[in-house]
Amino acid sequence: MTHQRPADSRTVKVEGLARVEGEGSLRVEVRDGTVELVELEIFEPPRFFEAFLQGRRHTEAPDITARICGICPVAYQTSACLAIEDACNVAITDQIAMLRRLLYCGEWIQSHALHIHFLHAPDFFGCEDAVELAGLDLAAVQRGLEIKKVGNLVMEVVGGRAIHPVNVRVGGFYKAPSREEIAALVEPLRRARDAALASVEWVAGFDFPDIEIDYRFVSLRHPEYYAIESGRIASSDGLDLDAEGISELVEEQHVARSNALHARLGGQDMYLTGPLSRYALNSGQLSPIAREAAAAAGLGAVCNNPFRSIIVRAVELVYSCDEALRLVEAYEPPDPPAVVVPGTAGIGYGASEAPRGLLFHRYELDGDGLIRAARIVPPTSQNQLCIRDDLRRVAQANLSLPDEELGWLCEQAVRNFDPCISCATHFLDVTVERL
Amino acid sequence: MTQRVLVAGLGNEYRSDDGAGPAVAAYVGERTPSNVDSKVIREPLDLVGAWDNVDLAVIADATRSGATPGTVQLVDLGGGENADSYAGPMSTHGMDLARVLRLARAMGLAPRRVVVVGIEGENFQDGIGLSPAIEVAVPEAGELVLQVIDEAISCA
Repeated sequence: MTHQRPADSRTVKVEGLARVEGEGSLRVEVRDGTVELVELEIFEPPRFFEAFLQGRRHTEAPDITARICGICPVAYQTSACLAIEDACNVAITDQIAMLRRLLYCGEWIQSHALHIHFLHAPDFFGCEDAVELAGLDLAAVQRGLEIKKVGNLVMEVVGGRAIHPVNVRVGGFYKAPSREEIAALVEPLRRARDAALASVEWVAGFDFPDIEIDYRFVSLRHPEYYAIESGRIASSDGLDLDAEGISELVEEQHVARSNALHARLGGQDMYLTGPLSRYALNSGQLSPIAREAAAAAGLGAVCNNPFRSIIVRAVELVYSCDEALRLVEAYEPPDPPAVVVPGTAGIGYGASEAPRGLLFHRYELDGDGLIRAARIVPPTSQNQLCIRDDLRRVAQANLSLPDEELGWLCEQAVRNFDPCISCATHFLDVTVERL
Repeated sequence: MTQRVLVAGLGNEYRSDDGAGPAVAAYVGERTPSNVDSKVIREPLDLVGAWDNVDLAVIADATRSGATPGTVQLVDLGGGENADSYAGPMSTHGMDLARVLRLARAMGLAPRRVVVVGIEGENFQDGIGLSPAIEVAVPEAGELVLQVIDEAISCA
């Protein structure tokens, strides 16, 4: 943090954005009482994975891309599987699709429990981290951990292990869990759902800055379910696209002082992906218990306050436990556990909802099934323009704060997005400077 | 008395020398008795759950201390009473080991003893494969981990 001149011109730096997955830096420049510049410096690997995938077999894409992020490997695996299956013109069975959705619920449970209780909630208590929060509200932190463990358990049972599932393959799974293995998830998931309901009530009681932003919401939409692992792409201004459509419409541009690509949809406008978008576009498809929790927490049909995204995330946590329970109770082991996907020449697209937003992949395969080109567009890249716009608004509305408090609020504005900088990049270091 | 031991390799194999921890965990995993759990953990927070109330947790990780690349270092954190002094800036792993140990202590889940065996890395860019100096140090670090385990078991 620097404090160059205590006038209405300054630069606020936040070096090392804490509690964001990965690292980076944030710099806000204020001149004569106006925020002139917001830079979110993100040091993205220069598309290492896209290059690394070239020449690899089509069956390798899920395992390789799973390593891009330790928090959302299932999202990468799923989008990769969908895209490869699309390129090879192969459809999976309903049973395989439902098992994939169950695995994805495990990842949502794990990731949302982590962000809500360990990374985001400390902001609302003025705590530096979850350790300090545990001193104030040990039960809440313990509850978060218990929920996260159930997410891990689902990933272990379906995916083979909690961190990077090894049971996923193009076309389905290497092995279908037995009915007994899946049935054993019922009790833990019920406990997790109860705990998640308590967490909705907990976060609904936080104090939130009064800010409303007219976002352009973009998320998957599925005709039958709250979209997670499949669907078409919808937006609050009426877009209806398949994965190919969004892949063609989204342009990514390099921006000075950032290695990450900034995505624009349709050539000009910023757009938001993630829980606020999913909720705005699909909240009617939440299960009754999740809808009731949302209503009790004071959420309307749409939530435009980015700081309240923690409530939406908690509602989605309830939903993912509840949906996992539904899938567990209806489970029929897919037999065979995977459909055969011969590698053929073609181009395929796949999109799914990572916990922090829309993730889409595109692969071009040659006649031997080798990957000739890959494109991976993670949610944090898509949200970068919204993050910078939110930062500008939040900084402008709070210029009366001292540098340290303003920097803290700016950090929170970034964390609202649950950015997975590891997906979009690796290092994050936050700067506010009054010039 | 049976000692419950966990060996965890922290790191990301796709960030060059950051893969040192997983490499050491793999080395140790092939040589440990069956009562020792050896696993690769990329996010330190996942230690909570994996190491709850074990007698000894040995954490293999890449270090960036300014030492010569390939230098193997051992840091005995004991029960984590002084873990605060090891907390650095937020690491590439999101939530660093010291913070996770403090959290585990706050929740009454910390191991009785935590030992860190580190290999100084030199390249943390995207890529697969360890630098030669780090590759060479993996067996040395692995043997040190095994020695720590042997001593703990024989003293029990």
